[in-house]
Order: sequence, then C-alpha cells, then structure tokens
Amino acid sequence: MGVTCVAQVPVAEGKSVQQTVELLTRKLELLGAEKQGTFCVDCETYHTAASTIGSQGQTGKLMYVMHNSEYPLSCFALFENGPCLIADANFDILMVKLKGFFQNAKANKIESRGTRYQYCDFLVKVGTVTMGPSARGISVEVEYGPCVIANDCWNLLMEFMQSFMGSHAPGVPSVFGTKHDSVYGPADTMVQYMELFNKIRKQQQVPVAGIR
Amino acid sequence: MAEGVLSPGVNLEAFSQAIAAIQALRSSVTRVFDCLKDGMRNKETLEGREKGFVAAFQESLHSVSRDLGELERLSNLVGKPSENHPLHNSGLLSLDPVQDKTPLYSQLLQAYKWSNKLQYHAGLASGLLNQQSLKRSANQMGVSAKRRPKAQPTTLVLPPQYVDDVISRIDRMFPEMSIQLSRPNGTSAMLLVTLGKVLKVIVVMRSLFIDRTIVKGYNENVHTEDGKLDIWSKSNYQVFQKVTDHATTALLHYQLPQMPDVVVRSFMTWLRSYIKLFQAPCQRCGKFLQDGLPPTWRDFRTLEAFHDTCRQ
Repeated sequence: MGVTCVAQVPVAEGKSVQQTVELLTRKLELLGAEKQGTFCVDCETYHTAASTIGSQGQTGKLMYVMHNSEYPLSCFALFENGPCLIADANFDILMVKLKGFFQNAKANKIESRGTRYQYCDFLVKVGTVTMGPSARGISVEVEYGPCVIANDCWNLLMEFMQSFMGSHAPGVPSVFGTKHDSVYGPADTMVQYMELFNKIRKQQQVPVAGIR
Repeated sequence: MAEGVLSPGVNLEAFSQAIAAIQALRSSVTRVFDCLKDGMRNKETLEGREKGFVAAFQESLHSVSRDLGELERLSNLVGKPSENHPLHNSGLLSLDPVQDKTPLYSQLLQAYKWSNKLQYHAGLASGLLNQQSLKRSANQMGVSAKRRPKAQPTTLVLPPQYVDDVISRIDRMFPEMSIQLSRPNGTSAMLLVTLGKVLKVIVVMRSLFIDRTIVKGYNENVHTEDGKLDIWSKSNYQVFQKVTDHATTALLHYQLPQMPDVVVRSFMTWLRSYIKLFQAPCQRCGKFLQDGLPPTWRDFRTLEAFHDTCRQ
C-alpha cells in the first residue's frame, strides 16, 4: 500500500460521463499504462437513530460504511471528521443488528466503479460515480506503491497526475496535511473517497451536463 | 638396457596383447556412442524401432564389458612398472649411460626447479596484483587459491568483533539510518539497513567487503517465511529494482582494498542520499518522473539526484 490521491474529474463540456471516462483512459493507455481488471468502492450512509439523540439535543451524526475491492476482506466505518474503523467484511451483518442505533439511508448509497490501470509503480483507477441509477461524476485514484509518506511523494504524484489529467489535477488532499511523517494507510484512502462522495452528493441537484 | 629395467615381471607378449585389447575396447566404446548418436532407426512401428535400438545398444554394451574384462585380465599379466623412483618414469632417464650426448636428465631437473620457482613467484605476484584489482568476485584468486589457501588477502580474515565495531560506528554516524547486524550463516555478516521511511537495504558482507545488496521498499517484506533475511528475491517495485542496480554499481565503484572500513562508510554515505528518493527532482531535467520512475541515480561524488538517462 502506497500513497494514494483521490480526485474528481469534471465532465468535459458537451460530453457524457462515459465519454469523459473514455477520454481519460485513452490518455492513460497512450502513456503506456496497462489495464488490470476492475475496481469498486461503495459507500452506505447510516443515520444515528432518533432514540439515541434526543435528550442532549444533538443533531444526528452520519456514519459511512464503505467497501473497497482492493481490500476485499475488510469493511471501513467512518464518521465525518471522525475516526475510521477497519473491520472484517462481516461488519455489515453487525450493522443490521444495530438497527436500533444506526439506520441505513438506502437512497444515499453511492459507489464508484471502473477500470484499474498499472503504469510502472503507479496504480490508477478511473471510475464512474453512480448514485442509484444515474452517473454523477468521475473519480480518479492514483496510488504510488513504493512510497509510504504522503508528503514525500506529493510533488511526484502531482507531476504524474498532470501528465494525464492536465489542468484538472487536484490540490493536496486534506488527509495529507494531518499525516506529517506517519505511514499512509488504507483508511486514509477511504477518507478521501468519503469526502469525494459527499462532494458529489451535494452536487446532485445540478444537472450532469452542467458540471464543469 | 630398457629390458633390464623393465624385466621384473614384464612380459612383452602380454604388452602387445594389452595394447590390442585397448584398441578393441576403444572401438567398442565408439560403437556404443555411435549407436546412441544415431538413435532409433526408421522402422514401421514405434515398438519395432524401440526394440531394435535397445537390442543394438545392449549388444554394444556387452562387447564393451567383454573387452574391458579382457583388458583387465591382460593388465595383470603385464605387471606394474617400478614406482619407487622419486620422479616416476622420468627417473628412468637417469639410467641412460650416454650422459654426455643426451643430457636429458640434468636438463629435466633444471626445468623442474625452474618451473617450481616460476609458480612460486607467479603466486606472489598474483597476490600483490589482486590487491589493486577492480574485480571483487570470490574467484579473483583464480585456481591458485585452491592450491595455496594462505594466499587470501588479509582484509578477508578480519575478526568479527572488528566488523561489528565498524558497523556500529557507521550506525551512530547517521541518525536517520538504522543498521541491524546478524550472522545467520557463520562469520559472514548480513546487514538490514533501514533508511528513514523510504527504503530497506539488505547487505551481504564477507568480512568487511560488501558482496551483495538488495534494495526494497519500506513497506515490503524483507524476511522469508521462516524469519530469515530474504537475500534472493527482488523488490516488487521498479524504482527499487533500479536502485538495487545502482547500488551494485556503487559497490564496484567504491574500492580501496587496504581500507575496507572506508569503503563501507563511503557506500553508506552514498546510500543515505536516497532519503530524498521521492522528494528530489532530477538535477539535469528538473522533473520528478521519467518513464514513470523518479531520479534513481545518485552521483558518487556530489550525491546529486539524476534520472538514469540524465546522468551522463
């Protein structure tokens, strides 16, 4: 597991989500990246149930339960700005038992699916973010395997992302800022996906063609 | 004269028979190999071919063993030549009565002394020359190493305690570098060098000479399943495979046979410059990536970072 950056790529003007994804993957293939199967990251939202809030007048916190095909045996549970729990995959069943405390907001299920590419020591995943039946946006995940310190290889990652994303290359992800010299882990990637999904959810009112 | 020397138990008749038997044996052995070389001849069926081949092969093997038996029988008749002379058969030359005309024996003795001296001097010279050599492989002593075990360069027989001292001094010299020394196979030390959170290097030493290095990622496993250092498998990442190649080049570059501890220290100083492997742009092209790899080369003198193709 190396350092990973997750970013959103806006849909090109006058193009559909699918066409923009194809444009990106063609650029990657021209660069010399090799296709290596598919990937999927999904995220379910849970509300804290009404019975547990109430007395102190707190607003319900949202909890996200996520899966990543890169870690098929794990399940990630995150609070916004909060801790990230990495559990075995059968954590989902536990969540069903905890219905009294956490309620699944089924309509909010969001996921990103797409193709996995390898280029030298880089792993690139270009995915279409879908919520329910509709495609909402494009996610690009770039992982640099050999390095474990986020800030060490940010410039290098940036240069690579610019080579195929051009001006759409992202800024420093916020998780990098809190890492300092500690080792980057899978949970940091999931936090980035959670932030990306939240951003895309908020955009949902805007018609897809209008996203720039 | 010759008869006089050979006379005890020598039977000239048996001799000529034995020579004939040797010839017969050689020709039958040749036949065996011819048979093998020709392989199965074309026959209608596979079984037929196999049968024919096996039969022919068996027959020729039989004739070999027959001829060999015959030769053995004859050799008993021939008897042994006298072996008690210090120079073996060449000692027979001393028995030649016409010394003045054919001084072969005295010439032979001179030549023998001369060749002995030559071998001795050549051995000394190769010992001296090897200290200056750029070759570091174990067979640098050539064949003579087997004959003269004492000729090993003195730098290869340093006490382990001294090696430990040198390594621990280097370990203290570089705070961002930690060196673990182990001796899983006898006296040769193996080092596991961890450089910051960037990379790990396995260094196989022979005394204070570095024999082999393998560079791997910080998050890669450097141990085999049974917990030993894995000195054979290479890194999964291209960048560290490249750095491994460069480190091997550095081993050959840093050479000072009289002061092996300086060599190890220079190598470690050079290795330490990889702490910025992912942070330093190439000093020539100014970029981080070239063909998907960061600048993996470090100049031996200035320790500046370059891409492999930018370094000339």
